[in-house]
Amino acid sequence: MAKIDEVKAQVEAGKTKLVPGLVQEALDGGSAAGDILQAMIDGMKVVGDRFSAGEIFVPEMLIAAKAMAKGVEVLKPHLAGDASTSLGTCIIGTVEGDLHDIGKNLVSMMIGSAGFDMVDLGVDVPAEKFIEAIKETPNVSLVACSALLTTTMPSLKNTVKVIKDSGLSGFKVIVGGAPITQEFANEIGADAYAADAGAAAETAKSMVK
Amino acid sequence: MLTKRQNLLETIKGGKPDRFVNQYEAFQCAPEVPMFNMLYFDPYTMSNPIPMPGTPDVVNSWGVTISWPANVPGMFPVHDEAHKVVKDIAEWQKYVKAPNLDFPQAEWDKYKPMAEGVDRNEVYATYVVAPGVFEQLHYLMGMDDCLLAFYEEPDALKELIEFIANWEVEYAKLIVKNYKPNALFHHDDWGSYKSSFISPEMFKEFIVPAYKKIYGFWKDNGVELIIHHSDSYAANLVPSMIDVGIDIWQGCSTTNNVPDLVKKYGEKISFMGDIDSGVVDKEDWTPELVEKEVRRACETNGKLYFIPNTTQGGPMSTFPGLYEAVTEAIDKMSKEMFKPVL
Repeated sequence: MAKIDEVKAQVEAGKTKLVPGLVQEALDGGSAAGDILQAMIDGMKVVGDRFSAGEIFVPEMLIAAKAMAKGVEVLKPHLAGDASTSLGTCIIGTVEGDLHDIGKNLVSMMIGSAGFDMVDLGVDVPAEKFIEAIKETPNVSLVACSALLTTTMPSLKNTVKVIKDSGLSGFKVIVGGAPITQEFANEIGADAYAADAGAAAETAKSMVK
Repeated sequence: MLTKRQNLLETIKGGKPDRFVNQYEAFQCAPEVPMFNMLYFDPYTMSNPIPMPGTPDVVNSWGVTISWPANVPGMFPVHDEAHKVVKDIAEWQKYVKAPNLDFPQAEWDKYKPMAEGVDRNEVYATYVVAPGVFEQLHYLMGMDDCLLAFYEEPDALKELIEFIANWEVEYAKLIVKNYKPNALFHHDDWGSYKSSFISPEMFKEFIVPAYKKIYGFWKDNGVELIIHHSDSYAANLVPSMIDVGIDIWQGCSTTNNVPDLVKKYGEKISFMGDIDSGVVDKEDWTPELVEKEVRRACETNGKLYFIPNTTQGGPMSTFPGLYEAVTEAIDKMSKEMFKPVL
């Protein structure tokens, strides 16, 4: 197996201790940093698809994302200045009144693994804080907002409205969370909806390409 | 007419119930206890600080900081770096101190009248225990650290699980000695709306041994019924639920295909739920929506091994009147589906 394929396979398997060494070996063997990163992104796509299909669970996804993050650490000095590898910046947060973070964290990891730079605003984020972050952050291509509770669906609606009415542009808004549906996303004017973390990464990529 | 307790037994044993068990009716034995209406007051719970709605940052007996902001339906543990109890699972012994259970007998005696006052022919003397083992783990360290620990520090995690389970058994000893409940309502969320948090294999390896110990103790000491709350998907964990002695899984959401579970496992475990709180418990709920959901649940699941109920972990709702509307709709379905034979 080529070293770069091994990197992909071990990211999929969540081998946090093996991946950094394999990335270094792939670099030493002459593979381009961008290609190695792409192999890891492809590995995370497999992980996301398997999660969406119910074949694997949250720990497998977390450990794979961590393995990739460790690989990226080795890769970073070789990627510096290579804008072609980034899909822009994604600002993510759980909307005001909602303190759930696990789903948002998973989505953040998966979108980050797909090639976005992530700015995570955390939980219970007021709409105004999303606006501030969009203004302050360069190269924002995506804003991801989540709500896990039926009681915070109005807050999600308000957040999307405030963002859309702000006049700021150049990015898309994606929404998700357990009670959220495609119909609700359409109704509140979001650009896209994703049912889970795996789908979020795929949708995010397709929206900015 | 059967008592609430008799009717529940007929339902879960495949007998002849004379109506649907209506939500929590067979477990509501202590009207003095807010929210649950079940036995819950004891020296430990009364000394364990829990936040009320609108209260930020209360530190409980395990050292976990919990917040309940205004206008939010539930409380949440706070897990920034400063507030996590377990900073490193490999050194959990350094961080975790089990709550004290050593109270004078007079303190335990204070709450005996409540348990003694339960009409045990009419309802079960049901004790509430929450949170359970899995929830306690992620309360202590945060969900991400907890789930990563299943891969990264499995031995340390197993030690901590055993520590929590042993503490729960010590607590259970005091409850059965003092209050002699005959049913247990035990909370531990094991999944999200769409999947279990961990795989069935991992669940068997890490969580099942703890629950065999905990539920085994309750059952060996006078508790006839174990009702386990997990308002989630957990269909893939049902074989393990049966294995650890759960009699009723409360909180099963529609994503589990509950009618299928009733057919497949009904003689071994009963299912209480299939009316998603997320669908009906909202600001703009209507009696029509409630009746539609209740009718679907009753008709598709049938009369045995199923208790129609919202998925919420207690006889309550976030929006006023909703729980009562579901109760009323279930009564209507009972009249329709349990017509007396002439």
